[in-house]
Amino acid sequence: MSARPSPAAAPPIAAARGVDKVYADEAGRKRVILKNVDFEVRENEVVAVLGPSGCGKSTLLRLLIGLIPPSAGTVEQHGKPLEGIHPGAAVVFQNFALFPWLSVSDNVRVGLNGRPLPAGEAEERVKAVLAAVGLSGHERDYPKELSGGMKQRVGIARALVGRPELLCMDEPFSALDVLTAELLRTEVYRLFTERTSGLSSVLLITHLIEEAVFLGDRIVVLGANPGTVRREIVNTVPHPREYRSPAFLQMVELIHDVVTGVHLPDSPSAPSATGPGRRVAGPVAPLPAVRVGEILGLLEILADHGGTMNLFDIDALTDYDFGRTIAVAKGAEMLELVDTPKNDVVLTEIGRRMVSASTAGRPALLRVELLTLGVFGLVIRELAKDPDTPLTGDSVRDLLAERLPTVGASELFETLVNWGRSGQLFDFDAASDTLALYSGREEDADD
Amino acid sequence: MAGVVGLAQRWEAPMRQAVEIDLSPSALPLYTLLSLSRGFAAYLLSLAFTLTYGTIAAHGKRAEKIMLPLLDIGQGIPVLGFLPGLVLGMVALFPRTNVGLELACIVMIFTGQVWNMTFSYIGSLRSIPEELHEVARIHRFSFWKRFRTVEVSSSVIGLVWNSMMSMAGGWFFLTVNEAFTLGDRDFRLPGIGSYMAVAIEKGDGRAMAWAIVAMIVMIVACDQLLWRPLVAWSQRFRNADVEGEAAPESWVLNLVRRSAFLRRLRLRRRRRRRATPPSPAPMLAVAEAISGASGERVRTGILAAVGLVAAAGALLGAWKLVGLLARVPSGEWVVLAGALGATFLRTLAALALATAWTLPIGILVGRSAVWSRRLQPVIQIVASFPAPMLFPIVTGVLLVLHVPFGAIAAVLMFLGAQWYVLFNVLAGASAIPHDLDEAADVYAMKGRARWRMLFVPAVFPFLVTGLVTAAGGAWNASIVAETLTWRGKTLETFGLGSLITKATREANFPLLTAGVLTMSLALVLLNRLVWRRLYRLAETKYSLNR
Repeated sequence: MSARPSPAAAPPIAAARGVDKVYADEAGRKRVILKNVDFEVRENEVVAVLGPSGCGKSTLLRLLIGLIPPSAGTVEQHGKPLEGIHPGAAVVFQNFALFPWLSVSDNVRVGLNGRPLPAGEAEERVKAVLAAVGLSGHERDYPKELSGGMKQRVGIARALVGRPELLCMDEPFSALDVLTAELLRTEVYRLFTERTSGLSSVLLITHLIEEAVFLGDRIVVLGANPGTVRREIVNTVPHPREYRSPAFLQMVELIHDVVTGVHLPDSPSAPSATGPGRRVAGPVAPLPAVRVGEILGLLEILADHGGTMNLFDIDALTDYDFGRTIAVAKGAEMLELVDTPKNDVVLTEIGRRMVSASTAGRPALLRVELLTLGVFGLVIRELAKDPDTPLTGDSVRDLLAERLPTVGASELFETLVNWGRSGQLFDFDAASDTLALYSGREEDADD
Repeated sequence: MAGVVGLAQRWEAPMRQAVEIDLSPSALPLYTLLSLSRGFAAYLLSLAFTLTYGTIAAHGKRAEKIMLPLLDIGQGIPVLGFLPGLVLGMVALFPRTNVGLELACIVMIFTGQVWNMTFSYIGSLRSIPEELHEVARIHRFSFWKRFRTVEVSSSVIGLVWNSMMSMAGGWFFLTVNEAFTLGDRDFRLPGIGSYMAVAIEKGDGRAMAWAIVAMIVMIVACDQLLWRPLVAWSQRFRNADVEGEAAPESWVLNLVRRSAFLRRLRLRRRRRRRATPPSPAPMLAVAEAISGASGERVRTGILAAVGLVAAAGALLGAWKLVGLLARVPSGEWVVLAGALGATFLRTLAALALATAWTLPIGILVGRSAVWSRRLQPVIQIVASFPAPMLFPIVTGVLLVLHVPFGAIAAVLMFLGAQWYVLFNVLAGASAIPHDLDEAADVYAMKGRARWRMLFVPAVFPFLVTGLVTAAGGAWNASIVAETLTWRGKTLETFGLGSLITKATREANFPLLTAGVLTMSLALVLLNRLVWRRLYRLAETKYSLNR
């Protein structure tokens, strides 16, 4: 099954036109999750949406089928504005979402809700779909008695039993162990390619490049903060797809490059001037949500490998998914500890000094780098207004939300505190949620 | 129980003068403070009992086998059944002063507070990760250090939360605990409970209203100035890995934590601490012996001694009990059985009433994060209000509507019991997993189907927990609900509760004992036969642990 472009006349099954999604957290701070997204699911195609966690890809799925409303823009089904839930959609959830008090067959029958069928036929369909996903004989079991892989089979059966025109899969294999996930992925691939289930189109949400290349006809890469469509790639790998075939590997390589280009652009990072002028803080930009410990770990790995490594080799060495590896590299790059030409990560001079510094010497090195980042300048200026009075965490979060509305303020604050404490810029008291300039005193937990 | 009653009978205390209660509103602040101090005294007693009993029960595997069921029975016994014996005994011990009466009142409040605190503490102790115990052993923690750093720290959150609930529960019988008639003797202590009791007796509506206002002020003040800050403070003991839920906050605690004065104080303390080297923890010989290698033998010895004394006491008590029960004529037993049936039906009605409104409302409110956040503190305060104080008002309204008092009693029992159900349903509704909700949306599960297939099954385990607690509360409340003095005349309806009240009033100790025993047995039996089965169903089929 290669991408079969539908006739120009047929409108897409589901589409987002210029859609924004803004959430407000409990304190009322707004965060832009998706910004100006144009996206379509056409007939007879498998679209894979690829992006790191937190880029809004699950939000996009929920918008397209009407589980949540957009903040701006329109969502359409078959060219008409969507009202309520998309009538032809079914969803396979990341954590299965099975009803624990219903048996397997009753859970599957939930998928026929709103599709009235003669009793006999409903029974037949449930039986057939359970056989198709390899669950014959488990009709009377309860979800609790099944393994994770079996549970997701029930989830898939429930989605397929109503013969949906749009099957949505929200990271369907990510809650399973590696081997089970692989088995189920292969079976889902067979279901897609055989098209026996009355299925028309599939929307697959994933953060794994290989999964997107294996299952998708079209791959849409989302960028984060805010989530936007950055690139669309038509998957030209012929069927049957094999992970080790040259075409497959080439496609994966191509998408790697696209993803890296999106998240680690090669343009020189902002505060690159060296020398006395370096202390001038750069623009206020968000920090990737990684911990200093992870960045230092990356430096150690680089140092062990001669100071230069390909991003994907690093990825293979760690258990991280690709998006997270990129985030760590990006954090290191912001601190000028590494350079990232193309897909390589190269230790800089500062990075080398950091690696060879003693544990006690590292905060001082880090502090110099932190002070070049605009977001730290912003917070420190605020703290310096009255050095004896600490700021509440909420006021700092408000400040961040105001300056960087596309990032989660709480998450950014957490990263900021982690980096700032590692560089001995801040003291943070979690119990009272207060941030103060570093005083040199030990933090004391019990009082 | 028989021991207490027996003790009371033997000590013939001199007649006591009942304290005159001043019904003017200006007397109320003092009365409120007096009642509050009794509540706190009882709370300290509860805390001490909890820490000792819980620590002993959790440490010895054998002790646990006896002590947990004992706790279960203690919780089920109608506390008011103890009152006569206790009052007589205490008054006899301190014939000249009010001390005896005060102590009796405090112990009665204590019996309304202590159970869930102890259960919570033992539960927390049992769920301490094995690694923490191992750390304590590897680093040779003394008994006290382990108690402080491992055991108390791990249970603070549960203990604080249950302390709040316990304080509220302790007020329930305040009107009875502070003003009490036994035979021809009238016992009264100055306090908000006796104020209300006298107001009800005299049918003074204005005084009743004032008492209610004072009670509300006391509850709100306790909640805002003490419990909220404590709950928020206790969050620091939370296991760090659990995230998601919004942490409780307290404006008082925030104020305290952020005040510049305290910050300076804290800094100074830190400096001083650094200046003086930490002194080695005082080694208590007994504690060492208990935690040391030879401790096992000592512990077994202590345990055996305690067990022996307890067994002897139980034997003696059983002997006395048989003696007392033998004096109950056989005809009375038939009446008791009938009364049991009547009160049982009333309990069922109260639970049905509670479920009927709390299930839909609880689910609707609990599913809206905004509304449950808004209403939770309000409901908590409303629920802390002792329902018996409202009995006369509710009864007055229902009498006007020509409702027979037999049915009114069920409504009165429902008044106190409903909150247990509501709280649990609320918790259950807010715990419905988001993805199940989305699945119901996607698969067009609407209206009644959604209630039947999603909402009700999802809150079922919580509903059962709520009903069990509510049932216990309703049984106990029957003692004050089935008999009511209303504008000088006494309303009464046939039931176990009114029978116990009557026996108390007439100082008929054999009948009182038989009644209390019947109620306790009925509670234990219901627990075994009905609730435990429902629990099992809730834990297996309807559990959301996936």
